[in-house]
Amino acid sequence: MAKDHRAGSKVRGDKLPAILMASHLLEGDTVFLTDGDWTRDPSAAKIAHDAETAEAMEVEGKAAAAANLVIDPYLVPVELTDAGLPVARHFRDAMRQKGPSVHKDMGKQAEFQPLG
Amino acid sequence: MTLITKTGAADDRFTRFDTLEDALATDEPVLIPLAFAPAYVEQRPGAEFGISVPGSAAIEDVAPHLETAALVAVEFPSFADGRGFSLARKIVREGFAGTLRASGPLIADQFLDALACGFTEVELPETMANRQPAQQWLSAKETMSDHYQSGYGTEPSILQKRLAARKGASV
Amino acid sequence: MYRYDEFDERFVRERVAQFRGQVERRVDGSLSEDEFKPLRLKNGLYLQLHAYMLRIAVPYGTLNSRQLRQLARIAETYDKGYGHFTTRQNLQFNWPKLKDVPDILDLLADVEMHCIQTSGNCIRNVTSDQFAGVAKDEVEDPRPTAELLRQWSSLHPEFVWLPRKFKIAVTGAEHDRAAIKVHDIGLKLKRNAAGDVGYEVIVGGGLGRTPMIGKVIREFLPKDELLAYLEAVMRVYNSDGRRDNKYKARVKILVHETGEDEFRALVEAEYAKLDGPTINAPADEVERIAAYFAPPAYDALPETSETLAKARADDAELDRFVAQNGFAHKVPGYIALTVALKEIGAVPGDMSAAQMRAFADIAERYSFDEFRVTHSQNLVLPHVKQDDVPAVYAALKAAGLASANAGLITDIIACPGLDYCALATAKSIPIAQSIAHAFADPARQRAIGPLPIKISGCINACGHHHVGAIGILGLEKGGRENYQITVGGDASEHAALGERLGPGIDAEDVPGAIEAIVDTYLAEKEGEESFIETVRRTGAEPFKAGFATFIESRAATASEAAE
Repeated sequence: MAKDHRAGSKVRGDKLPAILMASHLLEGDTVFLTDGDWTRDPSAAKIAHDAETAEAMEVEGKAAAAANLVIDPYLVPVELTDAGLPVARHFRDAMRQKGPSVHKDMGKQAEFQPLG
Repeated sequence: MTLITKTGAADDRFTRFDTLEDALATDEPVLIPLAFAPAYVEQRPGAEFGISVPGSAAIEDVAPHLETAALVAVEFPSFADGRGFSLARKIVREGFAGTLRASGPLIADQFLDALACGFTEVELPETMANRQPAQQWLSAKETMSDHYQSGYGTEPSILQKRLAARKGASV
Repeated sequence: MYRYDEFDERFVRERVAQFRGQVERRVDGSLSEDEFKPLRLKNGLYLQLHAYMLRIAVPYGTLNSRQLRQLARIAETYDKGYGHFTTRQNLQFNWPKLKDVPDILDLLADVEMHCIQTSGNCIRNVTSDQFAGVAKDEVEDPRPTAELLRQWSSLHPEFVWLPRKFKIAVTGAEHDRAAIKVHDIGLKLKRNAAGDVGYEVIVGGGLGRTPMIGKVIREFLPKDELLAYLEAVMRVYNSDGRRDNKYKARVKILVHETGEDEFRALVEAEYAKLDGPTINAPADEVERIAAYFAPPAYDALPETSETLAKARADDAELDRFVAQNGFAHKVPGYIALTVALKEIGAVPGDMSAAQMRAFADIAERYSFDEFRVTHSQNLVLPHVKQDDVPAVYAALKAAGLASANAGLITDIIACPGLDYCALATAKSIPIAQSIAHAFADPARQRAIGPLPIKISGCINACGHHHVGAIGILGLEKGGRENYQITVGGDASEHAALGERLGPGIDAEDVPGAIEAIVDTYLAEKEGEESFIETVRRTGAEPFKAGFATFIESRAATASEAAE
C-alpha cells in the first residue's frame, strides 16, 4: 500500500545525482536527508553523486522510517543548478520541493529560497 | 503464537498439525485443516478437534463439520482482508456454539469487530503480539461502548437501546 | 436537520479518543505505518504531497452555520485559513499536522461532526441530492434514509475491511442529481403500483479506472427492509469481491465478472437467510430520524415575490444571478440558491475562513440556518424567501460568493490533482483556471449554456471526468503532463460515459481544445439544445472531427515555430 505514494516518479536515464526525500511522521511535511539529520529546506538536502552514497542514504532513510520518524523515504534523481542546488527531475518531486503551484504563498516556496 | 480472549492472554489447548498422520498420533486436542476433518472424525470418533479454514472458504464447505468440531480457526492472510469477518457471521448463523478463532496478523484495533462478528478468541503470530501485547487488545476492546448495527455482538444496538429507552419512558 | 442524541454524541467522542490512542501507538511503534495507514484513512487522514490532508464528513452534504463557523476556526487555528469542498460533498483541510488531528476531531465533535469513513476500504460518506426536501419532483425526502445509512455504516463490525472503498448515494427525485447510477450502491426512493414507498436498488456503478453504469438488482425493495437487504449485498461483496488486484476490487467488477443475474441471485440467496426484523431499523427509529427533516416553519407566501421581480428588473446582475443560480422551491414564495465556489481564476471548491463566516451568517439569517454542499463543489442555500433574495445577493457579493455561473462552462469540477495529491499524475486545478479565464465573459458563458466540465488529475477519477459533458483526464506521458478529452458524459438519470475525442494534449492546448469543442457544438446545435443534448443526438463524431482539426492546426503552428 505504501507504494501508492511513489506512483508517477519514474525518471528515465541516470538516477544520479540524487537526494533522499520523505514525509515527517508527526508534521506530514516533506523533509530531506542531510548529514545525519533531516531538513525541511530543499536547498539543504544532501546530494549523492555516486551509487555508494545513494545506497547509504537509502539505508539511513529506512532506519528513520523504522524509528517512526519519517514515512516513505525514497531517492529522488535531481539536476544541479549553476549554484549546485538539487532540482528534482520529475515534476511530481519538484512539486514537493516547492509547494502547490496554485498557492505560491504556501509550502516550501513561501518559506525557503527558491532552488533555481 | 499468542492467544487472546476477552479476558486477556490464554493458553492454547489445541495443537496444529499439518498432516493427518501426526494429528492421529496424539491424544491432545488437534487443530487440522478442513480437508482432514472427515478422515479424522472417522478414525477418532468423539475426540476433541478443531478445523482450520481460510477466510475465503465457502460456508457450504465448512457447515458439515460444525456439529463435530469444537473449534473453528478462520485464517486471515492479512489484517486488511475482511473476508474472515463475514465467514464468522455465516458460521455463527449455522448454529455453531464452539470456539471461533480469528487466526493471523490481526491488529488490536480489530478486536471489537472480531468479537462483534462472533469470534471468541484471536491467535496472533509472535511478531504481532510483541508489538501489540494483550493489554493493548483489552484496551482496544473498551474504546467504543456502543454500536449502531442490530444483530452484532451481545449487547443491543444503539437503535434498539433508543427504542427501549422510549418504551421505558412511556410506561 | 439531524441532531445527535446522547448515543451519537458518545459514539463520536469515543471515536476521537480511540484515534488519539491510535496516533500514540503509531508514534511509540505499536502500530507500523502499514497498519496505521488504513486506520487513519478510516478517519479521513491522508498523507499527501506536502502534508497530511484531513477529509471531514458532511453527511449527505448538509451543514448549519454553527458547524461552518467551527470549520472556519479550525481552518485558522490548524490549517492555512481555508477549506476545500469535494466532489463527495465533504470538506478537506490540506495542511493539518498529525499531532493536531485528535484536537481537530474534538472540535468537530463539539458541533456534531466527524471524519469517520471519509476514506479507506469501507462504506464512505453517504451522498444525496443537494435539493433534498426542496425539489418538486421528490417522492420522498432522501435525507432520513441517508442518515439511517450513516449510522448503520459507521464502524460496521463486518464491513470495515472491504476489498475496496464503497460509495452509496440516495435520491428521492425523478431527476437524478445524486449520480446514483455511478455509485457502488445507488438508491432511488419510489412508489410501487400499490402506492407504497420503497427503493430501486442499483449496484455496481462507478468511475475510476473501469467506469461502469450500475445495474438494477431490485426493482422495488420495501422501505422497511433496507438494512437487511444492504447487509446481504455487502456480505456478498465482502466475501466474493476480488482481493488479488486492487484495480479490480470494486463491486462493479464483481457484478460485471459474476454477471448481473448471477449477482442478483447471490444477493437474494443471502437475503433469504437473514432474519430481517433482527437487522432492520425499528419503525419508531425510522420515524424518529425522519422527524428531524420535517419542513422548516415556512411563511405562507404568494407563489412569486413582487419585491424580487422589481429588484430583478432594476438590477441586471441580480437578474442573471437568480436566472442562473436559482432553483424552483416546492413551497410558494421560496427559492433555493446555488452559491458557486467558482469565481473566475479561483480554485474550484475552495472557501476562505472569512467567507465561511460570512456565509454562515447568511445561511443563519436567510435559510433556516441550513445549507448544502453539492458534488459540483458548490454550496446551496435551500430555503430562501424570494423577498430576501436581493439582500442575500448583496451579502454574497460582499463575500465574493456571488458568481452567477452555476452549471455553466466555468462552473468546473476539478480534483486537487498534482498540486496536492499523492496519487495524481497531472495537475488539474490550473487546467480549470485556464479554461475559466478563456471563457470568462459572462455573456459568452450564457450563450453556450449548461456545460459541466469535469477534470481529474489521475485515473482514479475523483473529478468525475467520465460523466462530464466535457471530461478531462490528466496523465503522465513521456515525463510530461498530458490531457485526454472526452465528450458526452452524463451523471443524471440519462447516465452515460464520455467518449474520447483523440490523442492526449499538452496543458497549454486544453483551453484551445475546449474552444474547438464549443465551436462544434454551436455549429451542430439545433434549436434550444444544450451541449449534452446535441452530443446525445449527433454522437461524438463531429466533435472528433473538430478536435482533429484543432490538433492539426496546433501541429502546424508548432512546426512553423520550430523553423
